[in-house]
Amino acid sequence: MSVEQTVETAAVEAAPRRPLPMQLKVGLAITGTIVILGLLAPWIAPYPWDTISMKTRFVAPNTTFWFGTDEYGRDVLSRTLMGTRLSLAMGVSATLVSLAVGVPMGLAAGYFRGWVDELLMRAADVLMAIPAIMLGLLVLAVTPPTLWKTSLAVGFVYIPPIARLARSVTLTLANEEFIQAAKARAEKTSYILFREILPNAWPPLIVEASLRVTYAILLGSALSFLGLGAQPPSSDWGLMIAEARSFIDRAPWIALTPGFAMCLLVIGVNLLGDGARERLDPRLKTRMGKS
Amino acid sequence: MLQIDDLTVRYRTPGGEIEALSSISVNVEKGATLALVGESGSGKSTVALAAMGLLPHEATIPAGRIAFDGNDIMTMPAEARRQLRGSRMALVFQDPFSVLNPSLRIGEQVGEGLVYHRDFSTERAFARAIELLDEVGIVNPEAVAKAYPHELSGGMRQRALIAGALASEPDLLILDEPTTALDVTIEAQILELLEQLRIRRGLTMLFISHNLGVVRRIADQVAVLYAGQIVEQGATEDILHRPVHPYAKGLLAAIPRLGEKKQRLAAIPGRLPDLRKPPVGCRFAGRCPFATPDSAAPQILRDLGDRKVRCTNAEHLRDTPWPHLGDGAPGEAFTAPVDSAPIVVAQKLSKSFTLSSGFSFKGWRPAATVKRIKPVDDISVEIAPGEVLGLVGESGSGKTTLGRTILRLVEPESGTIRIAGETVSDKPQRALEAMRRTAQIVFQNPDSSLNPRKTVGELLGRPIERFGLAPKADIPARVRSLLDLVRLPAHYADRYAHQMSGGEKQRVGIARALATEPRFIVCDEPVSALDVSVQAAIVNLLADLRDRLGVAYLFISHDISVVAHLADRVAVMHLGKIVEIGAADEIMNAPQHPYTIKLLSAVPRVDGPARQTGHLAAQPD
Repeated sequence: MSVEQTVETAAVEAAPRRPLPMQLKVGLAITGTIVILGLLAPWIAPYPWDTISMKTRFVAPNTTFWFGTDEYGRDVLSRTLMGTRLSLAMGVSATLVSLAVGVPMGLAAGYFRGWVDELLMRAADVLMAIPAIMLGLLVLAVTPPTLWKTSLAVGFVYIPPIARLARSVTLTLANEEFIQAAKARAEKTSYILFREILPNAWPPLIVEASLRVTYAILLGSALSFLGLGAQPPSSDWGLMIAEARSFIDRAPWIALTPGFAMCLLVIGVNLLGDGARERLDPRLKTRMGKS
Repeated sequence: MLQIDDLTVRYRTPGGEIEALSSISVNVEKGATLALVGESGSGKSTVALAAMGLLPHEATIPAGRIAFDGNDIMTMPAEARRQLRGSRMALVFQDPFSVLNPSLRIGEQVGEGLVYHRDFSTERAFARAIELLDEVGIVNPEAVAKAYPHELSGGMRQRALIAGALASEPDLLILDEPTTALDVTIEAQILELLEQLRIRRGLTMLFISHNLGVVRRIADQVAVLYAGQIVEQGATEDILHRPVHPYAKGLLAAIPRLGEKKQRLAAIPGRLPDLRKPPVGCRFAGRCPFATPDSAAPQILRDLGDRKVRCTNAEHLRDTPWPHLGDGAPGEAFTAPVDSAPIVVAQKLSKSFTLSSGFSFKGWRPAATVKRIKPVDDISVEIAPGEVLGLVGESGSGKTTLGRTILRLVEPESGTIRIAGETVSDKPQRALEAMRRTAQIVFQNPDSSLNPRKTVGELLGRPIERFGLAPKADIPARVRSLLDLVRLPAHYADRYAHQMSGGEKQRVGIARALATEPRFIVCDEPVSALDVSVQAAIVNLLADLRDRLGVAYLFISHDISVVAHLADRVAVMHLGKIVEIGAADEIMNAPQHPYTIKLLSAVPRVDGPARQTGHLAAQPD
């Protein structure tokens, strides 16, 4: 007990200048590089991403085509770079969809309890009971597949975990005395939910959301792989891998390049999320001192 | 029996390395009880953990020697140490609510050590556990041994823990704040039990506490810790009656005493030094009213008569009392106009909760069992403007529920509440605007009552904005004046909760309650989470604010001495009912109800007749 207290007294002065966690630095570096490359893709890509050239089919990586060419003679590097934008847009927009729906759902369920909680969480359970791919298939099978519908579907799939997390955080926060204090000055429920509880719920939500970005990229790619997302000749990573599958023994570079890119992005975003949690949670440092 | 020489312990923390203990030397003779006293951050628990070899990974021990019965335990192999820990020395932790494993029966946990250290069979250990439970004064030990921890009250759990510690017949018992989490009447029983065990078994005890009254009942020797150093050490009665070191003086002066009503308590200003770079000279110098240029030189613990003191000026200070540094000048005591209508009237207020709706078998079919408690049972109280009504009671007596019910933070089941002439008990929540401004609340836990994501300026500005008490441009000025009111500097407006100490946070909590210019504040255990020296400052502040602003308080506390100090009238609550209510002096000096008498006699005092052992029979709870 006194251990913790001592740490607290020491932390009082030290609080503003804490070094950035290592994960955050590495994560920022990886993700930042990928994002910048994606944004600059039209200008830095060495070749047009969609120009077919039958003379240069299946060229192995060399000094002209750093990552080789595919079955239509298109430069794999250029396509992968352009695909970065699609994958990022997919991951981020899907996550935004799930946050926009899941967070208010979880806040309401955790704060009101009772039948509101039951109704919202059982709805989330139903959603969870359907496998993600199936749900995506369902949405996309009835309408012609486009990229934005894919991200909507993926976002929809990830509502339950976000809502559950928001709910569990709200459950603990709702018992804090500062919520009582807000009630004691007759604050509106919306103020309590979004101004008192939500700012404290952000750290775990941000971590979860960053994980969801990576899952969304993977799921989006999986749907594209199944032909339900981006359509040819688009250079979505999932689609690229799907198309390259038939030549994997002859020209493995066509599938490996977008595969590695995806891997790197997922690792980068995960590190970012982990680092952000360490950085954002004001209570974590006392916990670190204690254990 | 236990000898600690020159022990230094450091902790690695994200903010840098801190020195939790600096060259501590204590020696506990066989059969004696040494108490380590200090406030949070003094390093007292670290001593216990170091002696048991249970320091966390972040801790390093750059210097020192700990000897148990003549053997240096720091050079011992880990396995030998583990053997020693389970059999010859035992530790009782502070919180009986989290130490017991919830999924094991009490008897198994008490006898566990015997199975591992003495090769007892499980059955024999269980039988021995029943004997031990009997020894620590538990009625019906067979049934308790078969029970799970959640079925036991706090006092029973602490008894069970002590029984577990005694199982292996230890020579040394280390108790880390064993009664802090318990009510006073239970605390008295536990202290009684420890005293009996000590006599019966010849136990040696190292007793760690922040409560000087408790220490007085149990210890022969006291060592006062401050910022990782022992500042004074000697015989208990000596130190408690004639402290020499300024910190010990201040600590004793800050304690409110029963039957001795002063205008203001003495407080120790300032806070602990930064232990990452402990001051070279006296560590208390920054807060010491007697500091001289000599204080900047390193201080050594030296002999002064029968005791040891770490102060160069000890000889001069021997008979100087702690100066009465009131937290601000006490103004004219507030007197309420005699004929004014009461600010709060509660009549026949009731509230009950359904605790568990488990099920039990009636014959062959399960039937729902509903356990209801009534924390507020037909209570009527009135509070006059500017009056302080103290509300005392043990945990579970319903004090907090009563306070929150009056404010409609908990909905009453029946009864009427009138605040400032307005009947508020029959209105919907959204029609309570006026009442929410007039009546406010200060909470117990300063860590939980301030939103960690908001600056002090935002926290204090919000009520003003919410009730439109000032134009937006004037809010920063209003915040500054509120901070000034609770004696915090204006630049605190930019701080977050985690950048402040407990006492500072509590001041912000009080300022927030004052922001709406209320006429009535429910103070729900506002000082219970604070150290004695800080507690005194907060109590003084509350008294000053009452005198200046004429606010009425419902002051809830389990600590009768604090309530008696601040309140005009005192209400004693027991199992949802007010058993006695009257003028504070009358209740303290001539209590009528048996429960009040029991409560008052259980309070561990630092003054009054010497050693009050044996006056309270160890009753099973």
